[in-house]
Amino acid sequence: MSEFIYLTFDGLSRGLVYAAFALALVLIWRAARIVNFAQGAMAVSAVYVAYSVTNATGSYWLGFAAALLAGLALGVTVERVVMRFVDHSSPLNGVVVALGLVLILQGVLGIVYGNEFLPFSTPFSRDAFEVGGVAMLSRYDLFVIAAVGSVVIALTLLFTRTAIGLRMRAAAFAPDVSRLLGVSVGGMLTLGWALAAAVGSLAGILVVPTELGVHPTAMDVVFVSAFAAAVVGGLDSPIGAVVGGLIVGVLLSYVSGYIDVTVAPMAVLALLVVVLLGRPGGLFSSSKARVA
Amino acid sequence: MSTDSQLKELALHDISVRFGGLTALDNVSLRVAPGRIVGVIGPNGAGKTTLFNVICGFVQPTSGSLTLDGRPWRPRPHHLSRLGIARTLQGVGQFAGMTVLENVMVGARHRHAESEALAALERCGVDRYASAYPGALPYAIRKRIELARALVAKPRILMLDEPAGGLDADEIAWLGALIKATGTTVLLVEHHMDLVMSVCDEILVLDFGKPIALGSPEEISADPKVTEAYLGAAA
Repeated sequence: MSEFIYLTFDGLSRGLVYAAFALALVLIWRAARIVNFAQGAMAVSAVYVAYSVTNATGSYWLGFAAALLAGLALGVTVERVVMRFVDHSSPLNGVVVALGLVLILQGVLGIVYGNEFLPFSTPFSRDAFEVGGVAMLSRYDLFVIAAVGSVVIALTLLFTRTAIGLRMRAAAFAPDVSRLLGVSVGGMLTLGWALAAAVGSLAGILVVPTELGVHPTAMDVVFVSAFAAAVVGGLDSPIGAVVGGLIVGVLLSYVSGYIDVTVAPMAVLALLVVVLLGRPGGLFSSSKARVA
Repeated sequence: MSTDSQLKELALHDISVRFGGLTALDNVSLRVAPGRIVGVIGPNGAGKTTLFNVICGFVQPTSGSLTLDGRPWRPRPHHLSRLGIARTLQGVGQFAGMTVLENVMVGARHRHAESEALAALERCGVDRYASAYPGALPYAIRKRIELARALVAKPRILMLDEPAGGLDADEIAWLGALIKATGTTVLLVEHHMDLVMSVCDEILVLDFGKPIALGSPEEISADPKVTEAYLGAAA
């Protein structure tokens, strides 16, 4: 029982990181109808910025803030310089350009920083507290919960309580109608990319120090899990992304703990297949299943 | 709603629009004076909605020009609201995933968006649907919501694209009274002749993109070219 409790908490903590990353994918999908396959490479670029700033200043928190700012800047740059000029008549064009961005970003990072895993420590202990002899959460897990929870609450408030959030939603639903109502659709798109990239960077800086370290491909496996989370939840649904992230996190934790860590990726793919067969739009999607 | 000093004069000068070999508008000129209600009528395919799309910047004219308050003007869709121009759409065009109140709030340009949106919904008699989603509502209600979304911006020029479509006689009478009560400049594209004749100060008639008549409702109803355009040469 104690193992089950530990694996559950560990899975939820890890799932929150997937949830944040899935949320970043959903934000861009809702705004631009693009699955941003470059999200992982963009996030790891921001983590390298954090690594440099932390090494230069000795402060994790300056590095943390630098990663979020780098994410915002990268999001704006990718949208304004690259994605805005992509022909969106076919959804494949954006995907191909995003894949090209992955190669460029990972190539440049490899040239600048090398292809070794660079050590990056967490700001809090990862040793789990014990309650009644059962290992629960670590201080770092609590930090992850607070960070991702704050982002989810902030985004919810942004989209439901502010004029800018309302306009971002309107621009995503019907760009032409939104323009007639005075919404700067291009501006909302840029803001969407910036927010998504910052949220992706947050996920990156939370997860990379818990893995092997900073590396140009450090987010590749996380991307696969987070993409599965976003699809399981429904690419259109921010709530779905959060729930999908938690489901994937807990599933990975159980499979790694009870079976074998090498089987975990297959479990995620199996989950993906089951959900896509049963509910192709995802668990929280309002759209109808494709029938042909 | 608007004071005279806020109203704007919109003018089209020899506007032509060609899509490949098709001439959608052919040398159309129109002056919409401040505070006037101007109707644009014509059979299906006459170019009425294309004319609206030119004014909104969705379609660039092949030749001709526009002026706003006498100054050359190149319209852009997302600048219209700032200039005090609001348009309703033929196909309603509401955001399905947003509540009725949120739909109207997107159109508001002032700090108190929620209270202004509620006031606009109340004015159009649909405030009780504020928390509903538009997709679940009857077409006539959605038409009223569309009108509220245009009115919430307190426009100086209100462009109505077939606002009476799908409405019954009582609703059309209500709509006519509302259009007159706005006190603002109105450009009205409509098939429902009773509405057009009862509210418009001036009417432009298009046929296959060409302007064939311009005048008061009395002049238009007595013009044989208009009858011919609607009913054919044999009429």
